[in-house]
Parts: sequence; C-alpha cells; structure tokens
Amino acid sequence: MTVHELDEFLAPLRPQYADPRSLILPALKHVQEETGWLPPDAMATVAEATGFSQAYVESIATFYDRLYVEPVGRRVINVCVTLSCMLRGSDEIFEHIADYLGLDGEGTTDDGMFTLHKVQCIGACDRAPCLQVDAGEQIGPLEPADATCLIDDLRDEPAPARYCR
Amino acid sequence: MADQGQSPDIVTLTINGRQVTAPKGTMLVDAAKAVDIEIPIFCYEPRLGPPVGACRMCLVEVEGMRGLQTACSTPVADDMVVQTESEVAKDAQDGVLELLLANHPLDCPVCDKGGECPLQDRTFRFGPGETRTLEPKLHFPKPLDLSPLVALDRERCIACYRCVRFSQDVAEDGQLTFQERGDHTEIATFSGDPYEGRFTGNTIDLCPVGALTSNPYRFVSRPWDIKNTPSVCAGCSMGCNLEVTERDNEVKRLTGRPDPNMAVEEGWICDRGRWGYPALRSADRIPHAVLVDQVGRRGVLLERALAEVAGMLINRDLRIGVLLGDPVTVETGFLAQELAERVGDGRAMVRRTGIPGHGLGPLRALPGAQMDELDAADVVLVVGGDPASQQPVAELRIRKARRHGARVSMVGPRPSALDDACEVLRTTPGHLVDAIDVMRDRLLGSSRAVVLWDEADLAAEPAAAAALAELVAATPGARALEMCADVSGPGLRALGIPAAGGLLQAIEAGHIDVLVTIACDPTAGPEGTRWATALEGVGTIIEMGAYVSGLTDRATVVLPLLTPLEEEGVLVSMAGRAQRLRPGARECEGAAAAWELLVALTHRLGRAVPDRTPSQAFSRLAQRHSAFAGLDYGALGTEGAVIAPVEATGADAGTAPAQPAGDGLLVVPCRPVFGDADAFRSDALEPVREPARVCLAPAEAERLGVRTDARVHVRTPHGEMVLPLEVGSRYHEGAAYLVMGDPGTAAERLLPMDGGAVRAVVGVAARQEVSA
Repeated sequence: MTVHELDEFLAPLRPQYADPRSLILPALKHVQEETGWLPPDAMATVAEATGFSQAYVESIATFYDRLYVEPVGRRVINVCVTLSCMLRGSDEIFEHIADYLGLDGEGTTDDGMFTLHKVQCIGACDRAPCLQVDAGEQIGPLEPADATCLIDDLRDEPAPARYCR
Repeated sequence: MADQGQSPDIVTLTINGRQVTAPKGTMLVDAAKAVDIEIPIFCYEPRLGPPVGACRMCLVEVEGMRGLQTACSTPVADDMVVQTESEVAKDAQDGVLELLLANHPLDCPVCDKGGECPLQDRTFRFGPGETRTLEPKLHFPKPLDLSPLVALDRERCIACYRCVRFSQDVAEDGQLTFQERGDHTEIATFSGDPYEGRFTGNTIDLCPVGALTSNPYRFVSRPWDIKNTPSVCAGCSMGCNLEVTERDNEVKRLTGRPDPNMAVEEGWICDRGRWGYPALRSADRIPHAVLVDQVGRRGVLLERALAEVAGMLINRDLRIGVLLGDPVTVETGFLAQELAERVGDGRAMVRRTGIPGHGLGPLRALPGAQMDELDAADVVLVVGGDPASQQPVAELRIRKARRHGARVSMVGPRPSALDDACEVLRTTPGHLVDAIDVMRDRLLGSSRAVVLWDEADLAAEPAAAAALAELVAATPGARALEMCADVSGPGLRALGIPAAGGLLQAIEAGHIDVLVTIACDPTAGPEGTRWATALEGVGTIIEMGAYVSGLTDRATVVLPLLTPLEEEGVLVSMAGRAQRLRPGARECEGAAAAWELLVALTHRLGRAVPDRTPSQAFSRLAQRHSAFAGLDYGALGTEGAVIAPVEATGADAGTAPAQPAGDGLLVVPCRPVFGDADAFRSDALEPVREPARVCLAPAEAERLGVRTDARVHVRTPHGEMVLPLEVGSRYHEGAAYLVMGDPGTAAERLLPMDGGAVRAVVGVAARQEVSA
C-alpha cells in the first residue's frame, strides 16, 4: 500500500480525532487487512502517512496482540485459554489442533496456511471451550473432532480478500 | 516542571507535620526536597519535561484526596497536608518496590550500576527487604547492543520512560520507544536498528537502574574503586561541565554532572565528549621528553629538556616566537606572555592559532547571552555555522527554546541536523549578507531574541558581520552569542593575544630563531604548506604537545603535555564563561601541564615567578587583564563566571578578509566535533566518526565529471590534496563543502589564515593519487 492510498483512507477520519496520534491505530488495521501482517515497510508507510516516527508506530503495533509484527498464516486460529474454557478442556482442544497441524505449541504451519495462538478470554464463556478464526464469530462449544473438521473446511476455503484480524 | 515560569505566589502546606512554603506550581517532591524530606523517585526528571508518573515510586498520602498521589506530578496547594512516611505511604512504597523488583534479576554483583544505582539505594532505604514472589522471573538474553556504545539489559529495566523521553522530547530524534506491554515492555528502536545519534550516552546517565550501560565502560570499574572529579569538556567551545571518573591514574569514564550547570549544558553531554577519553591512551601520545643534540635524537628526562630549552631562551641573540594552539588554558596563555616579557628586549612574541576575526569587533561588542537565556527567548536566530555538528549540546538548548515557544530560524549555507526544528533559510555560500532582510524580518517585534552567530562564517564575510551587528544592536532586548570555532579563542583573546599572521610573516622574514609551539602544529592548520616552508628557515623548534604531530620529528626539543582532562586551569566558553578544569587523572607520567613548563622555564631564566599553582597565576592575570577583573578560583566555583567583553587590541586590529581568493567552487568549511582529532584517536568513537571529505551537490558532481564514490583532487591557493567525495542533494551547487578535522588528512591546510573565504578547484583524482 502506498502512502497516497493510505492518506486517502485516513482523510475522512482526520477530522474525527482531536489528537492525530489516534490515526495510527486505524491506519495499522487498514494496512494489516491488506497484507495480513505488518512488515517494517508497512509500518514505515503508516509513519509517513500519520507523521509520527517509525519507532513510535512500531511501539503502538507491538502493544496490541492482534496487530501482527511477525508473519502469520493465511488464517489465524485463536484458542481461548482463560478460566471457563480451560475448565471445559481448552488445553485438550489446543493440543489436538496443534497435533493435527503438525505444530509444537503455538506457531505457523510450514505451508503458511495456519497460525495457532493461545489467547485470553474472547467473551463467549457460555460456549466454552471456544476458539476464534481471525476476527470471526466465536465457535464453540468444541469437541476435538469439531476442531479437525473446522480446519479441513478452512483449508478448502480461498484466501480472504481482506484479512480482518 | 522546573522550567515552567514560576509565579511569585507562595503557598504554605504541611509535609510530615512541618510547615513548608513553596512557589505555586512546585511539585510536592521538590517542595519536600527543599526541606530535606526525601520522597523516593525513579522517573521524575524535570529536565525531560513535564512529569509522567510512570514508576509510581513517589506515592504519598494527601489529606482530603482519594487514594494516594504521585508526588512528582501533584503541585503544591495552600493548606495541603501531606504524609510521606505514614503507614499507608510506607506500605505503598514497599508495594511499588516489590513489584518493580518482581522481574528484576538482582544481579547487582555483576552490574556496572551496582554501588551507584538509585534502584539499589532506594530498595535499601524504602523497600520491603525481602520478596514474597515465588514465581520465576522473566528472562531475556543479555545484554543487547542498543548501539555500539550503549548496552541494554532488558531484565533490569523498570520502564521508567526516562530514556524514551530523552530520545523523544530532548534530543527529539524519535528513535527510542517502548515495545510490547506489561511485564514484556522493552526499550527498542524501530526494527531493532542501532540507536544512532550524537547524544545517546545521556540515556546511560539518566537510567536509574542498570538497564542502559556504557559499552566502553563495561566491567571496567566499581564505584568504590573510582574517584570522580568535576571538570569541563575541551572538545568544543560550548564548555560543557562533566565528571571525570579515574581509577589507577587512568580516565575510565566521562559522564554528565549530577549537579549540572544549568547555564551551560544542563547536564547533557554529547557522545564525542563522553567517549573521547580513550584518546589519552592513543598510540601517538608523546610519553617523554625528546632532545636532539650532538649525540642524536633521544628520550630524556623533562628536567634535562627544560634546561636545554632555558639555555636557548637565555641567549640574547635569539628571537623567539611562541605559538599557542587549541586547547590551552588562560593560565598557559598568561604565563607564555610573562615568559616573553621576562625574556626581555622585546625578543619574544606570543601569538595564537585560530581565526583573527578582524571585522567581528562590532558583533563581539553586543550584549552577550548565556545558553540558559535561550529558554526564555521569543526568537532564536542562528546565523551561519551548524551548532548541531560543531557545538552539539547547543542543539539541545535550541530545541528546548523551540519547545518553550521561541521562533527558531537558521540562516546559512550548511545542511544541519537542526533543520527539522526550525525555519531554514539556506543561503548561497558566501552570501549571508543577502539574507539580512530575512533576519531583520525574523527579529521584528521580538523583545528577548538571542542571535547565535558563527565565528568562522562571519569572519569570512565581514559585510554580513557588520550588517548583523547593526541589526542586533537595533533590536530591543536582543542578545548575541558567539559560536566559536576553537576552544582557546575566547580566553586567549581576552588576554589580548593576537592571531598568528604576524608571527608567520616574522618567520618568513627570518626574524624568528626559536619557535615554541604549545598544543599546536601550524603545518596542519590553515596555510599549513606555507608554514611548513617558512619553518625550514627557523633554527630551533620546541614543541610542547600531548600527541605526535607533523612538527615532532622536526623539533629540537619535544616536551610532553598533559591534556585538559589531566590538568588544572581555566577555559573560557563561547558564551564568555570562565570555568575550571580539574585534573581527573594523570595518564602520562612523563608529561607536565603547559603552565608548569612555562613556570619552570621562567625560573630557569633566572627570574622568580610568584606562581606555584594555576590558581595563583589566575589571580594574578585577573589583576592585569580587565576581562577577568575581580575573579579568582573561589569566585569561579563550580558554576564558573562570565568574563567582561574585551575590545580588540591594537595588535589584533587588521583588515578584514576581502573577496574569496582562488578559482573554482567556494569552500564551505565544516568542522564537526565527531570528526576532530580526538574522535579519531578514541577507539570507542570508531563507529560514529566523521571522516574528512568533500561534499558536492549532485549537479555539481556531474558538471565536474566525478563519480559519487570517487576520490577527488582539491586545490586552493593554499594547497592541494586528495579527499573522498560525498554527493548529496542537501548541498548547495557552486560550493565545495570541506569536512575537516581528521588529523591524518589535515584538510585545514587548504584554508587561509586570515579566516577569509576561499575557492577550490575540484576534479577527478589521478590514479596514482588515489592509490597513494
């Protein structure tokens, strides 16, 4: 994405914020939707479009878990490991998915299809244990077999046009 | 915030049962400190701007306020009742320290900060004594090189934000930030790039724990094995106060002063000043006296060499020239004058290197400013020069002036690191005078303007100097501040010592038999080639110097000198502030201070000198020279004192340089302190040195047919040499920017002694020149 394109996206937002620092977050999200993660040159583009230093933009990006400064797979699977889900077996779900994807804990598959993360509460304790694919609906309650099916379905899906994470 | 305008209103409050008065706007922590009540702090540092309350260490109980308050960011108010040692406050301090230490590795025995660490001290004084944490601590690989000079240990960091605030709000380089959050917070630069800058070392001084440490000082010494001495940096004319750390007779470290001189450097020092000290141990240090006689060339004891020199000086047939270089103290200048007087018969003349400065009289006669007056200035105008590279700490003061609301403008031919902080008017080289209308416009309506003017640039353009002096004089409330090209200049001028032109003419006329040089090598300075030829006609050269120079092999007697970090004396800063050097260490056993050698020589001439110490010499020179009237070492104290302005003496009068000499491109001389001799002698500064080179605009390089990575041949009427080329769009067409300082190149030789403008023919270097 060019600085100019990002500027066009930010133009209608500028009057909404009293402090121009507030533009950094929507700008980062917008760039990540296109590239899936935030490589250094994407953060440099955000820095230029918003007028802040690259270091400051990176400090914002690293603050938020859902802004990825390391490459991630085509889909990011977030397994909730907070209390309700854990009590209902989310650790087993996580292990099962990791085994199925051939991962040793958190990480990205070699084919670049999936990234598996443990996350804190995603607000669906009534459906524990649950997970979330990118920023989609929470899915649960899950049995290990459900998770395997889900991954098979995701594998067949085409890459999303925009990465909403 | 200490730099806020203090209102005259005084409020009365109670702290720990004591009645305390403080000016309105004072923060609780400062009001308490004023009556010797210590409230523990880590992040509070008024020099970094408004308080941020990041570390939570300063929690106190204020009656009527809900919860505990951070004393660093709570201003005093009338009838406030504050408890800093109540049960609740103590409990909070305990709790904060316990949490700050939750992931701190407590590796004090192997930490460079151990023994002089605020975290250690406050944990002992205010902390809980033992931890209740059972969980394993977070670990990071350590240390990480934040830059080649600064090491980062992420485990020790308590996230106080001091270094980040310095980078963001003082140096304004925007490089340091915090990444991640919570217990994973770490100091970082963008993509892990090295932290580049000219002030990076200040983050080490600021760090209240052992997270940021100096790589060159790593594991070098323990606080109980060292001695700290306050002194002054002789790296540029700014005159920053610093602290010299000595161990085993070696300078191990230089830091900013814990009690900063707020009128000069505010505690900040540049990296060139901080890490220049390894130069004291460089291979080209002169270790002992050398004498050439019938026996040959050999090392001798200082006593023997002095006797030899005295024997020469006493010979009534010999005419003597004394040339003072840079940096030398005012005591050295004064005692050289005395020596010349005592030699008698008008046989001796004393001169100094540096710019004669004819035509600068009116500018020097303007009301002068101190650096701290920039804080309250409404307009700051920088005319010529580049403080960011020549007097780096001045850059920080100018940036601060801008943050305080001053309109900052820079007029001159050079690109500068300050360009982002001011309105820039890039003038055609040699045409500062054309911008005088813009300068007038900038000063219009100001009432507290400070005009910083560059000695070298305005000496080269007398018409601009005259116009600027007139303009500043006509602006109500405006003050001037000279940015001097050399460190000794202001002090030696105050003693009435003229520039070296007359001495060179006397040498060329065959009127000098013995030349004594003190801390200088004129063959490496302006018109060096002419000097070298002229010196062939001088029978005897006596060199007093700390480092081997072009004269050392030629000299009959070489007397090793101590450097400013090792000697006592007074240097006068560019703002006219006389400040004391105090000997921090004595690295070279065989060497002596120039003042000692001069006193010893005068004695050997059979004339009693009343001075046994620099202090006595200074008191006596203060009686004889009006600029220093009423001053002595006691009066200088730790802050220094501003000397009175002096009028140019008859010997210093002369005609100002006229039109630029020679053909080709106008030379824009650049003297970055990171490219000076000590920067090249200090191995610590290797990653940040600025090499000597010629810089051209792309169009100019194309016109001359030189490739961007080429070496070019440069010729002025005063000499020629081959230099590396840098091509950049920041440079003006029609000019050759000559970056000087590197002693191996001595590019200063291409310049005229009168400080005037000069032109250079730049062309492709022949193949054999490049390989040579």
